Amino acid sequence: MIQRHSFFFTDLQREASRELSLLSIVAQSFFQPFSIVDNLLVILTALTSGAGIGFNRAMLFLKKDDRLKGEMWLGPQSAEEAATIWEVLSHPGIGYIEIIEHNRSLVARNADTLSRRIRDLSYSLEAAVLSVPALPVRDKHIYHVREAGSDPLVDEKFHAIIDVDEFLCVPLVAGDTSFGVIILDNAITGNSIGLREVELAGLCGLIAGNYIHSAELHQKIIDMERMAALGEMAAFITHQLRNPLTVIGGFADQILNGRASGNKRERNLGIIRDEIRRLEDFVEKIARHFKTRSKEPEYFDLRPLVEDVLRNPAIADKSAAIRLVLKMPKETPEVLGIPAAMAEVVRNIVDNALDATPPGGEVVIRGARRNTSWFVLSVKDSGAGIPSRDLDRMFTPFFTTKEKGMGLGLLFAKRMVEASGGRVEIQSRQGKGTLIRLILKCREKEETS
Amino acid sequence: MKRILLVDDEKSLGLLYEEELTKEGYAVKVVHDAESALKILDRQAFDLIITDIRMPGKDGVELITEILGRRRDIPIIINTAYQSYKDDFMTWAADAYVVKSASLDELLKTIRDLIG
Repeated sequence: MIQRHSFFFTDLQREASRELSLLSIVAQSFFQPFSIVDNLLVILTALTSGAGIGFNRAMLFLKKDDRLKGEMWLGPQSAEEAATIWEVLSHPGIGYIEIIEHNRSLVARNADTLSRRIRDLSYSLEAAVLSVPALPVRDKHIYHVREAGSDPLVDEKFHAIIDVDEFLCVPLVAGDTSFGVIILDNAITGNSIGLREVELAGLCGLIAGNYIHSAELHQKIIDMERMAALGEMAAFITHQLRNPLTVIGGFADQILNGRASGNKRERNLGIIRDEIRRLEDFVEKIARHFKTRSKEPEYFDLRPLVEDVLRNPAIADKSAAIRLVLKMPKETPEVLGIPAAMAEVVRNIVDNALDATPPGGEVVIRGARRNTSWFVLSVKDSGAGIPSRDLDRMFTPFFTTKEKGMGLGLLFAKRMVEASGGRVEIQSRQGKGTLIRLILKCREKEETS
Repeated sequence: MKRILLVDDEKSLGLLYEEELTKEGYAVKVVHDAESALKILDRQAFDLIITDIRMPGKDGVELITEILGRRRDIPIIINTAYQSYKDDFMTWAADAYVVKSASLDELLKTIRDLIG
């Protein structure tokens, strides 16, 4: 017998030890499709909320170039505020998810007033002599500071802001690199920090460091792929220009050399005109391609966009003899992408599906949420399917099985979707049809107030 | 008369080459994909093969590989819009590599060098 388990243990915190539930929250936070800082907020929240390890306040500094800069500071501002928050948190039914959402909305509204106090703090990491909080980042050790006021290693300005004598500095380390530091204290309760807390906070620092490390590597790979894509694009443009130019040049030469007269001359001019139209069409497509690439991804409503694409006259024409079915709930979460580019992606894929499907066949577009973070838009045709030898090459630039295809549609889809953190999958069975899945990051629709 | 088999999925390009090479005194057969090329090679004799690379279905590199697997006595010219395939070692097996251009001079010279 086999039992499948999700990585998301939502019930864990009720029975597990505080340590285990803290680590579970921290590890799970990295599954979320948010930015690095947003995911680090989850760690700070876990470190400061009662049921976790239970520090009062947590501060985050991140390394930017050669400097360490104040990023975020979570926690109550006073004993009264702390009492209110902890009272709320002690209610049954309020879990980490709610606290995280609460903190996230504070940060989003710029209402995390503590954070403002540290945003101007910036420390060189290259200076010969460093002070806390920069020192533990370079030293890559946890610093448990006890008498901050009288310790010359603690920066005075920093001490004036944190305003406690005991705090813990946990650098975010992966391998031989550190990415920042988390600073934890018990300003409200005044509880001293024990070895158990030091160890547990250290573990969180290691996990967070490795998370940042892998997120940065991932970004580097995306950048490199972009560079490679530029090279491919240059080669592609050259090719698309050379073919028609060869034809135009050759048939024009025939006319100029007096080797094409009468009907043949007319024919040559016709071919030349067709090739020029093709060039024009190509230039148009390239212009559109670059226009849609230069924007930043955003969250948007997918259903109206898909409906718009299906109303496109070219699509409507092609689908006259084919059953085009849209199965998607009216209310869907918002997905991450560049709307104009996504419209192009969906149009391309639906267009491919319609081309592949014989009259009387069916193309089904289905949109459904996979879990809290991912939304899947799939397009299934009932065409001949793609031979497995071609399936591997579907994402190769300029590979096409279509008479008039550019061989760029699926590659464009893949690049656009991956640029927004999603991915594209393709499955095909000969004689059955082809299924393309766009797996997109999603989030709940924001309340419009 | 020397016989040339030309493989290119671009129909108008095929037509142009057919006319220009015929004018130069060659007998030209044009096909638009690799499968057709392999079929006709089984039935007819040619003195030279000119092939594009980027084609739907089997591409030019696969075509060359299959031809070389059957016989090695026919010279092959690769004629493509891409410079970059020169890096693909399978294209080294061809006798010449000519990048497509609005002038056919280089292609014609290469043909003459290979089969006269």
